Amino acid sequence: MPLIKIDDKEIQVESGTTVLQTAEANGIEIPQYCYHPALEIVGSCRMCLVQVEGMPKLQVSCNTFVGDVPPDRKVEGKYDMVIHTQNNLVVQERKNILEFLLLNHPLDCPVCDQAGECLLQDYSFKFGSAHSRFEEEKRVRPNEYLGSQIVINHNRCILCSRCVRFTQEISGTSELFVEARGYKSKIAALEDRPLDNLLAGNVADICPVGALLSTDYIHKNRIWNLEKQPSVCQDCSVGCNVDVFSRKNQNFRLTARENQDVNGYFMCDIGRYGFHRFEEIDRVVQPMMRNGETFEALDWDKAIQKTAKLIEQAKEKTARIGSPFHTNESNFLLGQMMAGILGSLPPILGEEINYPSGFRISADRSPNLRGMTDIFGGIAEDFPFELNDRNICGLYILDDGVDRDLDDNWKDILARMDFVVVQSYAMTDLAKSAHIVLPGLAPFEREGTITNDQGRVQWLRPSLPVQGEAKPDWEILALVMKEMHPEQQPMQDISQVMKEMGAKFPAYKDISFFRLGSTGISLNGSDEA
Amino acid sequence: MNSFKPVLTEHIHEQECHTLSFYKSVDGYSALEKVLKMDPQKVIQEVKDSNLRGRGGAGFSTGVKWGFIPKDSPKPTYLVNNADESEPGTFKDRLLMNKAPHQMLEGMIIAAYAIGCQTAFIYIRGEFYKEYQLLEKVMAEAYENNLLGQNILGSNYSLNVVIHRGAGAYICGEETGLIESLEGKRGWPRIKPPFPAIEGYLQCPTIVNNVETLSCLPHIINRGADWFKSIGPEKGPGPRLFCISGRVNNPGVFEEPMGISLNNLIFDRAGGIPDGKNLKAVFPGGSSSAILTAEEALDVNMDFDELVEKGSMLGSAGVIVMDETVDMVQACLNIARFYAHESCGQCTPCREGTAWLVKMLTRLVNGSGTPTDIDMIFEITDNIGGLIDFSKGSFGKTICPFGEAVAWPVRSFVEKFKDEFLKYLPQEKVIA
Repeated sequence: MPLIKIDDKEIQVESGTTVLQTAEANGIEIPQYCYHPALEIVGSCRMCLVQVEGMPKLQVSCNTFVGDVPPDRKVEGKYDMVIHTQNNLVVQERKNILEFLLLNHPLDCPVCDQAGECLLQDYSFKFGSAHSRFEEEKRVRPNEYLGSQIVINHNRCILCSRCVRFTQEISGTSELFVEARGYKSKIAALEDRPLDNLLAGNVADICPVGALLSTDYIHKNRIWNLEKQPSVCQDCSVGCNVDVFSRKNQNFRLTARENQDVNGYFMCDIGRYGFHRFEEIDRVVQPMMRNGETFEALDWDKAIQKTAKLIEQAKEKTARIGSPFHTNESNFLLGQMMAGILGSLPPILGEEINYPSGFRISADRSPNLRGMTDIFGGIAEDFPFELNDRNICGLYILDDGVDRDLDDNWKDILARMDFVVVQSYAMTDLAKSAHIVLPGLAPFEREGTITNDQGRVQWLRPSLPVQGEAKPDWEILALVMKEMHPEQQPMQDISQVMKEMGAKFPAYKDISFFRLGSTGISLNGSDEA
Repeated sequence: MNSFKPVLTEHIHEQECHTLSFYKSVDGYSALEKVLKMDPQKVIQEVKDSNLRGRGGAGFSTGVKWGFIPKDSPKPTYLVNNADESEPGTFKDRLLMNKAPHQMLEGMIIAAYAIGCQTAFIYIRGEFYKEYQLLEKVMAEAYENNLLGQNILGSNYSLNVVIHRGAGAYICGEETGLIESLEGKRGWPRIKPPFPAIEGYLQCPTIVNNVETLSCLPHIINRGADWFKSIGPEKGPGPRLFCISGRVNNPGVFEEPMGISLNNLIFDRAGGIPDGKNLKAVFPGGSSSAILTAEEALDVNMDFDELVEKGSMLGSAGVIVMDETVDMVQACLNIARFYAHESCGQCTPCREGTAWLVKMLTRLVNGSGTPTDIDMIFEITDNIGGLIDFSKGSFGKTICPFGEAVAWPVRSFVEKFKDEFLKYLPQEKVIA
């Protein structure tokens, strides 16, 4: 393994790694714009220049590879490469590059959405000059729409070409290109092919400056006012890792979070903008019981007691219906609640989309079908038939708030029941047909684990506060179970549920939030830490 | 010197000199016949021994370049004839294509044979439409006569040549920009490594050679490396086409031995300066080379190494002559405009810096300059092209040498004719 020296640090590195990778892995900051680990190296921004001893020019660290050199060419007799990232030459060069990049920049940070997470701002602060020597007129261009949800501010663009390479290499759709030449260059979308593919939102994520902006987020907030919560996207079974940005009781933005075992660096626009679906929803925020055509509110104790009583009376004539939109913990408790048959709400299907880079949008648009199937321990194969066959008279439904058109078959079933208990956060058609409605949590309020279609268990974290009297779904189920089986040890918290789950289903043993961390654990054991 | 007989342009004044029948009548393609019986490694060695250096501008050893082709690569090897002649003040390749296209083609086949290439390209400047049409005819003639295609002249060697027209970008003359363009992409030079000889066209080993370089090859094969080396300085020998333009009585292309004095070129071959004016400055090797003052120009030989020592370069051997009537500030602005227009826009310093230079020089010419502008021009050129210290060479800061190509001349104008720049400053602002 080559031995190199970066500044004063001696480091052993794998042959073939770049100076930039090595520096980053060892906590040495090298500024960069055009380099992105998922994209081809172009080395054009010139920001990552470093000095390599023995080379006449400064070298771009993104494209300088470390390798073994013969003994007679080793520096100081032992180093395969000696690199300076902090000396006067490098420091001065960074200043020069930043000066060039800011020549035509409007310096409009106070009104720029990127402010606070802008590499131009950060590097100017760290490495740049406080004054500009540019006395000429700045180049000014109007903003343009590149697609229906992406707008470009050309004046802030530094032409790093990350976005262009993204559409060429990751989405494979090639809508973007660099128009014209030299300092007239600008990012543009093909006239007949606007940037409207389902990965388009990523270009705003990977833009290192405030040039590419999502129309969904533009001018809505300042980044330092938002809370960032790492979580998992719930809009298909891939389970892209995301950061959810929220303030008080509102989500403002989702961005992709790196996970090489799931989504790489990206996410799709279905998931990115999906959170808006929950903003206008007719919420259920307190337990309710049917009284004729209307519902009346009741307190939790009564609601739980009544629910337990209904189930006790019907015993095994109560069927339970879970949902692939709910966490493993909620579905697990539903499965453990009692003996009897288990069904699932129908899945939501869409088009499966595969991109040349390997990025995938699953046809299964629910986040946890795999997990639900894993921890139910058996779903009735022909649920409607079994309902009839076993003379089921009661239903306990873990509703997921998804708008499903209930077909006549379902309407028949619901009409036939003596009682229907629906645990839901929204007044869905199912909830409207219920006798008792127990208010659970909406997707961005939930915490728990979900398992993606590749068998990776991931930590779903809440970004929004609980509304009204609603309770976590696993807790509602635990309360009903406690009421039904007072002799049993009640579930105190979600980690206890996870422990029980692991005990019943060995594949899930040792699953804990701590072990899942930010990237999750594969049930296939390939990356068990 | 006067005993020198043109080699590459020996027959250009004859009727029909571009035809195959004419070329054959002057022993054309005899070198090819010889080469096809040689071991390709021997051909490379012969060219290495001749010390032939590239005629496109960089002056790199042709034989050494060929030697970089991996010996055991499973990929095909490509040869590209760089006919994208676009350096201002340079018009020799056009002449060679017009008047001796078969000489160039023979050189191409020899080079292709040496590096084991089965498909070669001619990347011709888009504006050379007439030459393109002529080359199409030349190719057809060559295919008909088994000089191209399958089993050339009965040998086991086959070669196809494809002509590709450029779309009008200076940067596509840079070899990796050219390769990108040839692949149908935007002409943005590639970051190196990998070098084209390892991964060029379609990521396959590729050699890019200039028209004039290739045209030398039949003669090296026929007359030997030693003959070639005996012409001019041993480290950079051979005949060379010098393009002389600007304020001279008799502008044009002159074939002379390497190392001829610039004085001789300007005052003898090109007939001196019209109207009895005095020489002021000269670009010795296209507009990318640093200018020489009259004093420097009269005392320099047109040799790769000597010009580098003098702080300039031989480049494409495009000699642009300026007399005392030329306004050096306007000339400098003209050059800066050209480079700002042609910058591909990929690297930050070149994209932004060239435009900055133009804006500043324009302001200066319009009478709104300030004394600090002059120093600023120095600094900007340094920041585009690297600190220029000729004792240590130039330290470029961009992907391709375009950065240096703009920094060198602009800087040399300001350095050598500072007083003219100062004259453009509003009078009250002039300090000392």
